[in-house]
Amino acid sequence: MNEHVKNLTPETTDLSRRSFLVGTAATGLVLGYAAVPGIDKALAAPSNFEPSVWYSIAPDGLVTVTCGKADMGQHVASTMAQIVAEELGANWKDMRVQLASNDPKFNDPVLGAQITGGSWSTMMNFDAMSRAGAAGRMALTEAAAASMGVPASECVVRSSTISHPKSKKSMSFADVVKSGKATKTFTADELKAIKLKSPDQYTMIGVSVPQLDIPSKTNGTAKYGIDVMLPGMVHGAIVTPPVRYGATVKSVDETAAKKVPGYIKAVTLDDKTGTTTGWVVAVANTYANAKKAAAALKITYDGGPNAKLSSESLFAEAKRLQGLSDSGEFFVKDGDPNAAFGTAAKVLEAEYTTNINIHAPMEPMNATAEFKGDILHIHSGNQFATRSGAIAAAAAGIDPKYVVMHQMWLGGGFGRRLDADMMVPAVQAAKAVGKPVKVIYTRENDMTMDFSRPLTYQKVKAGVDADGKLVALSHDVVSAWPTARWGIPDFLTPSVDKKGPLDSFTVNGADFFYTVPNHYVRAIKNEMAHNATPSGQLRSVAPGWTFWAVESMIDEIAHATGKDPAQLRISLLDGKGKNDGGAQRLRNTLLAAMGLAGYGTKQLPKGEGMGVACVSSQERATASWTACVAHVAVAPSGEVTVKKLTVATDVGTQVNPDGIRAQVEGAALWGMSLAMFEKATLKDGGIEQTNFDSYTPLRMSQMPEVAVNVIANGEKATGVGEPAVTVVAPAIGNAIFNAVGARVRALPITAEAVKAAMKA
Amino acid sequence: MPNLNINGRNMSVEAAGDTPLLWVIREQLQMTGTKFGCGAGLCGACTVHLNGEAVRSCQTSVSDAAGKKITTIEGLSAKGEHPLQKAWIAEQVPQCGYCQSGQIMQAAALLSKNSNPTKEEVVAHMDGNLCRCMTYSRIQKAIMRAASEMRTASATGTERRAT
Repeated sequence: MNEHVKNLTPETTDLSRRSFLVGTAATGLVLGYAAVPGIDKALAAPSNFEPSVWYSIAPDGLVTVTCGKADMGQHVASTMAQIVAEELGANWKDMRVQLASNDPKFNDPVLGAQITGGSWSTMMNFDAMSRAGAAGRMALTEAAAASMGVPASECVVRSSTISHPKSKKSMSFADVVKSGKATKTFTADELKAIKLKSPDQYTMIGVSVPQLDIPSKTNGTAKYGIDVMLPGMVHGAIVTPPVRYGATVKSVDETAAKKVPGYIKAVTLDDKTGTTTGWVVAVANTYANAKKAAAALKITYDGGPNAKLSSESLFAEAKRLQGLSDSGEFFVKDGDPNAAFGTAAKVLEAEYTTNINIHAPMEPMNATAEFKGDILHIHSGNQFATRSGAIAAAAAGIDPKYVVMHQMWLGGGFGRRLDADMMVPAVQAAKAVGKPVKVIYTRENDMTMDFSRPLTYQKVKAGVDADGKLVALSHDVVSAWPTARWGIPDFLTPSVDKKGPLDSFTVNGADFFYTVPNHYVRAIKNEMAHNATPSGQLRSVAPGWTFWAVESMIDEIAHATGKDPAQLRISLLDGKGKNDGGAQRLRNTLLAAMGLAGYGTKQLPKGEGMGVACVSSQERATASWTACVAHVAVAPSGEVTVKKLTVATDVGTQVNPDGIRAQVEGAALWGMSLAMFEKATLKDGGIEQTNFDSYTPLRMSQMPEVAVNVIANGEKATGVGEPAVTVVAPAIGNAIFNAVGARVRALPITAEAVKAAMKA
Repeated sequence: MPNLNINGRNMSVEAAGDTPLLWVIREQLQMTGTKFGCGAGLCGACTVHLNGEAVRSCQTSVSDAAGKKITTIEGLSAKGEHPLQKAWIAEQVPQCGYCQSGQIMQAAALLSKNSNPTKEEVVAHMDGNLCRCMTYSRIQKAIMRAASEMRTASATGTERRAT
């Protein structure tokens, strides 16, 4: 779609490309995959060696990798560069990164879109980046060999240099690019046929090279969306209604706002995408003035259909829906649990809940919109350029092909920036005032208008036979459906009972790797919650609540049958049938975490306990096998202190071990923060928490000791941004039970709930 | 029109006296290393130094800052080589990086007075600075590393002077 855009204004449509065309010498040749559309345009670039859309090599030898994934702190741009550098044979000091525009040529090679999430990036781009790197190495080697008059097969490529040991001749990448003799092209089939390195040949993958984005994040030079400054730009502050979704603006009185210096106008959004309801933007010459004007606007609202709803009403509706026999759709339907419950020796039943959670990345939502000719330019850090560009276009009333998205570093994403709500006020304000507009949410806007992790209600019923064997499990998950909200059929999953598509991003994880012969999982959409609290994908999505239920229930079964909870898990991870492979890896990971934590090796003081949990998060097909042992101390008041989290995770292949540790450390603390400290509530249709005084993520003083252990066994690389989030809450809950015999089933865990359960 | 002394330079800015210093720094002076996080002094992303003390620039009016020495992340060191900045790279602290200017400025105020802080002193001093990526353990390590480097450097400096 951006082909058309390019023809209109070639110099501005793709900033990422332009930035490396500028400032290069007019020598050398550009090459591309023969199969890549747009190669004719790439050929117009005279000086760089560009063996794929993913990187180019300048005549000075610098290799610039273009990252199509959103970099929100997972250092994915650096990771992509590392994978390219491995096969290319480049020196790490020569590697640079830049962020891609929304040109479809930068789409994820597996997903076919620009979307970042699911801990998918490394797994799904590893092969494409490896092949791109290898193709470059082969082309450079061929050219260098010809120049040096030696056989290419005798050349060695290392540290950005092609050398011929026999003749002691060598050429640097810079020399070859300058020579202009790298002319080899690769078709898609030829790329596919390239024999990649085997892991024992790696010199770059598996090494903790310094992340390329970090220096700029220590001196204030890294540019985030909020830092965008355009000539002639004005500023927008938004006024959002007291109701999260469904309100409409009845009237806007600008009298007082007009007295604010620099005030331009108030724009009431006409959002046909349905992303926002009842929003007004106050536009002024500075953001400080825009905020003043926003505060001075007198706006009346019709609260709409959700204005009376509360968290309590959403929970009540969830329970009602779960109680209906025909609710929802089946995600898993193995055997017949209901029949098995009839003959089971013991049946356990429990409800597990989680409250609304807010992403609250440190960089509040923002976007800058500028109309230039026919093109709408959006500058914003975003995780889903493909969809967000379309929303921006719809807000502008233009075709998506006229939208160019300029990606920025993301000041935190966690799934929040998969959404495009921030585009709408920026676009409509820019259109209304005829100038570029930067819209920044206040923290209050950001929290009350989050596409939150939905409130969830789960009912789990388990049947155990006379030998204490788990024979049946029935699991209902009731929630808003975050991914169904996107309206993209490809992201939905057909239900096994053929009742239509379901949002698997509400039930992933419930299809675990334990062997249970009779197993049902139902995905039940809480329509009331879906409408009142439009939900989003919060770091780890469904496994963040499904494993809370599953891993708590497994513990409950162990205690009810007199088994050690870890041993019960090991026995259920027998690797039979469809669980073969994954179950064994998860078992091994659990054993590793147990060993590292000293689980069961010593008597703990009174009031202390260790609990385990293990997860196949994110999805079955994209799992990183992750286990946690939590060590807690519980006071008689019910106050819980997490002393230590020991996390083991099997990631197959690690590209950057230190980067993986950083992700797992952060993810584990996220898991703890969600388990202990973060709770949002709905009242009168609005989110009650507005800033970090009432919504309170974990701070430094609340941090336990965290021990991270990464298992790299040579399997395919998997993701690490999310799995550890999901394993911590059940491990803490199970540890609390082992410490004081109190079973908690609601997140976040409160001292009151623990104390009440201690008495029970 | 308040006059500001920022990173050693005197600048006249056009802003009402009650304008938060943060927005003047970011928009008028276009120094965007100082970040907006909460607007309420609850997160520390906007931390700058006022006469060497760490303050929240979202809670400091331009008129309160006038006549005082303001230091932002851009002015902490000439080339980004303050011991804390070097330690931040050595420990690979930042993830998304958005809070890190504020973290570094907050930490710099501590180390300028106490180059041998205990872990408890570090936690007490840094607890007002939120990091949503939760890089806290690396922040602690980096502060300890920088403190140690500063002590070594000042010890070496003293020796040099002595000889």
